[in-house]
Parts: sequence; structure tokens; C-alpha cells
Amino acid sequence: MDNQKLAQWAALREVELFLFREAQLADEHQYKEWFALWTEQLLYWVPCNSDEEAVGRKIALINDNRPELDERLFRLGTKFAHAQNPKSRLSRVIGNVVLQEWDADRGGRVTSRFNLTEVRAGRQLTFAGRQTHLLERQNGVLRMREKHVFLANHDIPMPNLTFII
Amino acid sequence: MQQVADPSSANAITNEYLQSLVQDGRVHSRAYTNQAIFDLEIDRIFHRSWIYIGHESEVPKPGDYQARPMGRTPVILVRGKDKQVRVLVNRCRHRGAQVVEAESGNTRMFRCWYHGWTYELTGALAEVTEKGGYGPDFKMENMGLVEVPRVASHRGFVFASIQLEGESLADFLGGAAAQFDMLVDASPTGEIFLDAGANKTEYHGNWKLVGMDGYHPNFVHASVVAGWARNSESGIGAMHREDPFSDEALTLTRDYGNGHAMLDFRAQRLKSYKKHAEFLSKVPGGTQYVDDMHKAYGKERAELLISLSGDPHLGVFPNLQLIGHQVRIITPIAPGITQVTMSMVRLGGVSDEINTMRVRQHESFYGPAGSGSPDDAEIFERVQRGMAAEVNPWIEISRGMHREFVDTDGSVVGRITDEVPQRGQMKYWLQLMTQAA
Repeated sequence: MDNQKLAQWAALREVELFLFREAQLADEHQYKEWFALWTEQLLYWVPCNSDEEAVGRKIALINDNRPELDERLFRLGTKFAHAQNPKSRLSRVIGNVVLQEWDADRGGRVTSRFNLTEVRAGRQLTFAGRQTHLLERQNGVLRMREKHVFLANHDIPMPNLTFII
Repeated sequence: MQQVADPSSANAITNEYLQSLVQDGRVHSRAYTNQAIFDLEIDRIFHRSWIYIGHESEVPKPGDYQARPMGRTPVILVRGKDKQVRVLVNRCRHRGAQVVEAESGNTRMFRCWYHGWTYELTGALAEVTEKGGYGPDFKMENMGLVEVPRVASHRGFVFASIQLEGESLADFLGGAAAQFDMLVDASPTGEIFLDAGANKTEYHGNWKLVGMDGYHPNFVHASVVAGWARNSESGIGAMHREDPFSDEALTLTRDYGNGHAMLDFRAQRLKSYKKHAEFLSKVPGGTQYVDDMHKAYGKERAELLISLSGDPHLGVFPNLQLIGHQVRIITPIAPGITQVTMSMVRLGGVSDEINTMRVRQHESFYGPAGSGSPDDAEIFERVQRGMAAEVNPWIEISRGMHREFVDTDGSVVGRITDEVPQRGQMKYWLQLMTQAA
């Protein structure tokens, strides 16, 4: 196998391991550690109604910048976030990881699919969808600058979505 | 009260039984949990009363339609070539298939794909395939999509009633009608558009639980209140200055009759007008907005409208709520399942930045992933589970009965934590449920 191919595989594997770690921290409600995966400037965006790639003018499920995400995690960390008391048991699988644009030194754009099972209050629910990560390499470490999550069920009446998606 | 066995069919429910469920200051939990009572609610409330269907701005052009539920009846809100808005039953007159499947769209006609019958936007039957199969008694003019007999609108809000005759929409809305202005006139041009998307939610609880309650915020939303201590202008914190949910606040509960009720924030928010105008001045177009509002409505009314941020916090029985920056439709699915659609309101005549700021404020609190709505839903589900206990089945709604009074406009008024809205809602509920067809 040539060196270029090996480098591509290594890049893909590094990104996969990053996404797996992110998924694990989200599943385990490790808010502090998960928050540490982000760059200073950030966008955590979960649209609803359509997959149109237009952040802003229309209503979303989540559209957080850093202070807003900080507040979301602070709130979930209080004793009064009733919808997460008790917490959801979560298990998600990440797959179909594709590096769309990638630069070994700077990072790039990654798309993937997820399938997530939530168990809470006697109910077992499934959430699935695709996600786009904008990853940035800082001091050798990959961090998230943007995460866009396109839920398959974002246009039907939805139950609570109070964990990290 | 005499204990009555859980009624198993709507036919078994007498008016005396219904009256025994709604007493002074308390309600039997079966009003929220029983399937037969739920079936009766669909017949006697949702298939008789004025029901909110949608806003005219959701069907701006001829051919625009929205498929909506009206109790158990699927209907189509549609604008005809004559610009008129109609409400048609979404059911082919041949074998009953829905003629519209998409939730919204634009069309030249409605076609049933079972056997190809087509209908005009007015509902008139346009074409029957292989028409030779019908004899002379088959009259095309009698076979159009059923038009819901009574349709009326108030400030662009379209209501419909399946009952052939009844009180006018204006009489039905009564004192609540004027509160629609608090939303629509938050626009200096008096225009709103429901075209910025909707949060669609579902909870496992009864539809009557999502009412106007000024007692719960400091408890259900304790995590949000804790957040405001870190940043008072975060999210909808910018609308709630000081604690509007204490008995000492100027906020009120108000029952307008016919089940319509409101958390009246007017006096309380007006007190913080200056701070709110200052907050707006930091948003591009904010100063212009304040000027335009003064020009359009005069100082006194402009200050009230600006302070209120287009949030009358009004519930119109049984299925409409004007809360925050949204128009809410409440749809009963089963005694223990309810859907709530929250459609974002875009104000006409204001900067994009103001509308975008309002979208962000809405998202911060409302919707399935907001900081507020999920805790509301969680508590409604806890209530629904708790209500299965019938050892002592009474829901207590007596708070403030000793201190409520009738205002000059005829509305019943209590303090913000009082259960004036709950009593008003259940009083009208009983009236509709025990009314002969």
C-alpha cells in the first residue's frame, strides 16, 4: 500500500476515535469533559422541520454559541433539570464516517451517521440521523468548532431531547 | 360524592356524573385519565366549539394549504383562487381516503389517488374518473369535499366550528379578543407571519394540563431561574425582570370566561420599560423599532406593547395559546397523549436582527431541547402517572378563591400564583360537556 493511502487511513482512524470519544462522553453525561472538546468559538446546531443548511432565521431545536452551550450544561448540572432527573440511559453508535474535506495539519469537515437508544421513565426510544463536524487541529489536538445534527424525526412531534445529541 | 364506577363508554356518562367531577375548587382526576370522557371531549368540545386552525399568513397565496387536525377530524386550511380561506374536511367523498398527505404545500386542485377523483380548491368535485359508472341520481354538486360550516377569523387567526349554528367568534372570544392585539401590534405595521418554522412536541399527559399556570415557574423551571442568576438577560430572561412569579409581583391571573385565561404580565413588564428599551437599543434596528412603535401607536400604548414583547400569555380554549414569541396549537391524541405545536411568530416591519433575536430567545426556553418546555412536559407526565391513584382522586385548584375579584371588564382576577385559569377552564369544560347537541 502506498504512503498516501496509509496517511488517509490514519486520518480517518484518528477522526473516528475522536467521534467515538465524543459519543461516549455524551452518552455518559460527562458535560465538563464533553465541553472541553470544543474550540473557543463554537456552534452547536440541531435544526428542525427541514435539513436546509441555513443557520439562523428559522427556529431550531438547538442553536448554541459558547455562552449558550455553557448555560445549557450548567442547567443540566443543577439538581433542578427535572427532565434529566433521573438521567437518560444512552447508547449510540457512530458509523459511515467520511472525511469530506481534510487537511492533516488543520482539520476539516466530517460527516457521519448515528443511531441512539434512549431509555428513561419506562420508555425506550430511538433517535437517528446524520451529523456534520467541523474539526480543527489546535496544538496537535482535534477539537470541534461546529457540530450540526440532522435528526431523522425533526419534523414530527418529538419527545424531550434533554441530553447531548 | 357517590363513587361511580369508571365509565367504559361515552354513552354511559350522564350530565350528573360529569357535574360530580368538577366541584368548587377541585376536579376528579378521571376528567384527565378516562378514555370515555376523552371521547366525549372530542365530540362535545373539539367537534362543536370554535377551534383554532391556523393563521392566514400560513396560506398567503392561492393554492397554499396546511393540513391540520380538528379533534379527530383531519382538515385542510386552504386559500382559493378567489383569495378566500376555507377549511375543508380532508376526506375523499368516494371511499374516504385523505386527499392531502403533505403537511403543507401549494396545489391547483386536490386529487384522491385511490380512484382519481379531483376537487377544486373550494372543495367542489371537479372530475370523477369513468363517470359512466354512475346513474342520473349521482349529482357532482353534492359530492364536494365537506366544507367546515363555520369559519371566521380574528386578526388573521382562523377558527372553525363543525357545529352548524352557535355563537359568533367575537362572542366566543369575548374579552380575550383584545389581547390578540398585544401580539399582532408588537409589529409597528400590525403584521405577523408564521413562516419561521415550528417546534413540534409530544408528552404523555392530558391536553388540559398545558394551561396557564403562574405558580409553577420557580419550581418546574428552577434550573432556568438558577441560570438567570448568572446572566439576567440570557434567553427569555430579558423579558422577565425581577421575579414576576411571586405573590408580591404586579403580575395577575385573569379569566375572561369561555375557558380563556391569561397570565397578565402587562403592569409588571411596563415597570421595566426603560430597561427593556435599553436592551433593544443594543440590537441592530432596535432604536428604529422603538421609534416606529411610538409613531404607530402613541407613547402610552407603544411602551406597553414594547414591554410585553408580543407575549399576551393568553390561552384560548381549547386549543390555542399565544405565549412568548409563538402561536401554540394543542392537539389531544388520547387521554394521556398530547401534541403541542409551537409556531414561531415573525414580526412585520422590524429588522431581521430583531426577529432573529426573538427566534434565539424562543429556542432558549421552548421546544423539545429548550430549557423550559422539557421540564413542563416531564412534570405533566409525572402528574399523569400520579393521577392513576384514585384513593383520593381530587386535583386541588382552590388556590386564591378567597381573594379573586371581578374586574371592570368582567374578567375574574387573581394573583399570579392563583388557580383562576384552572377554575375558569374547568368551569367552561363542564358547560360544554353537559350541553345538549
